[in-house]
Amino acid sequence: MTLRTSPLDAAHRALGAKMVPFGGWDMPLAYEAGTLAEHRACRAAAVAFDVSHLGTVRVTGADALDRLQAALTNDLDKIGPGRAQYTHLLDEADASVLDDIIVWWVDDERFDVMPNASNTERVVAALGDGAVDVTHERAIIAVQGPAARRLLHAIAPDAAAIGRFHVARFDWNGTECLVAGTGYTGEDGVELAVPAAVAGEVWAAVLGAGIQPAGLGARDTLRLEAGLPLHGHELGPGITPLQAGLGWVVSWDKGDFRGRAPLAAEKERGISRRLRALTVAGRRPPRADQPVLVDGVASGVVSSGNFSPVLEQGIALAFVPPEVAIGDVVTLDQRGSEVPATVVKPPFVAASPAEPLA
Amino acid sequence: MNVPDELRYSSDHEWARIDGTRVRVGITDYAQDALGDVVFVSLPDVGAAVAAGAGIGEVESTKSVSDIYAPVSGTVVEVNADLVDAPERLNEDPYGEGWLCVIELGADEAVDELLDAEGYRTLIEG
Repeated sequence: MTLRTSPLDAAHRALGAKMVPFGGWDMPLAYEAGTLAEHRACRAAAVAFDVSHLGTVRVTGADALDRLQAALTNDLDKIGPGRAQYTHLLDEADASVLDDIIVWWVDDERFDVMPNASNTERVVAALGDGAVDVTHERAIIAVQGPAARRLLHAIAPDAAAIGRFHVARFDWNGTECLVAGTGYTGEDGVELAVPAAVAGEVWAAVLGAGIQPAGLGARDTLRLEAGLPLHGHELGPGITPLQAGLGWVVSWDKGDFRGRAPLAAEKERGISRRLRALTVAGRRPPRADQPVLVDGVASGVVSSGNFSPVLEQGIALAFVPPEVAIGDVVTLDQRGSEVPATVVKPPFVAASPAEPLA
Repeated sequence: MNVPDELRYSSDHEWARIDGTRVRVGITDYAQDALGDVVFVSLPDVGAAVAAGAGIGEVESTKSVSDIYAPVSGTVVEVNADLVDAPERLNEDPYGEGWLCVIELGADEAVDELLDAEGYRTLIEG
């Protein structure tokens, strides 16, 4: 299969990025600084990620709101035009999370729905006629970190001023772009959706403003430290929002939505497992699929794990029996070594306070 | 990639610095670059008998786990315990401060199977 490339592909190669296949795209894993340095730069200052591999599915028309309300778990009536919302698309048969999505409500009758790269086609299919995949038209640059807005302010003041989970247009030298106060690092920041034709110049300006590039390696360690789920690990076939500890994404009082009945049935009978955050003694990174032992019995499994660059120890997200509670100590089987792990309340690392705009 | 001429190499990307019967072992520049940022190293025990090609430890980066294989047979006589708290040395100085262990060659053991620098360069550039 031919990998898709970002509008910023040439820029990444010029920067000496290590590229990696991800969700059908060829994207930067890390730049010359390396994953750990990029991670720490995001916690201490600011970094820029190319996340053009995320999909943009545009849903327009007088019935767009009703169609999204019927398809997705969260309630768009809680927000309005000019806001963004995190939501799930469920399997109608078993309430598995088919995708986790941010919806950018751009105008009354225009929604830009942002699925994970490999799920874009199924989201288009689920949203039906009038949902158009416009991923190829734009690049998305995520600028994240406590200094993100302060540094971005020098080149795009309107974009830098966007509120958290707000969405707005901004002008880039006469080209209309979009910005949302969203991200996937646990830090303050924004995401810029810019037409492919100007992506290179926006990226260059962002780096020129003193924001260093970061790759998917740092994006993964940052989201893990923030306790945020990744589709294919914490969400996916056989995993419901309730098992993932994301019940707040489901609006039970908005009427019917896809997957509601099987999810309601699970809520009624109680979940069989639950996602928990674990810190392990020592530096060794937990890895997906490693067994979790509770009272000596293998009864859970790691969904994501790595080394926390900030805590300098192993951290993990894992599915465990629902009775396992915060403060409990369980055991991880790390390639044959049994290591104690403590159940903690996520995030593993709190966000740094955002720096004021200049 | 840096491939020092004076070292010998395994096809598993370990290097061996041979000094009489003592063989200092580490991972190559190519290996550390492919791994990315190393965050954890497990080392063999001093005194352990090891066989060429057998696993003697593990290196974990933010993205993957790799086994380390003994490039020669013999007995582990020294390990670089500093790596436990400073595994980044494997990235920063793979042929120096990032060394892993020293193996004392067993009697009648040879190092003929190992590649020379030119052979290793051909392997990684091939």
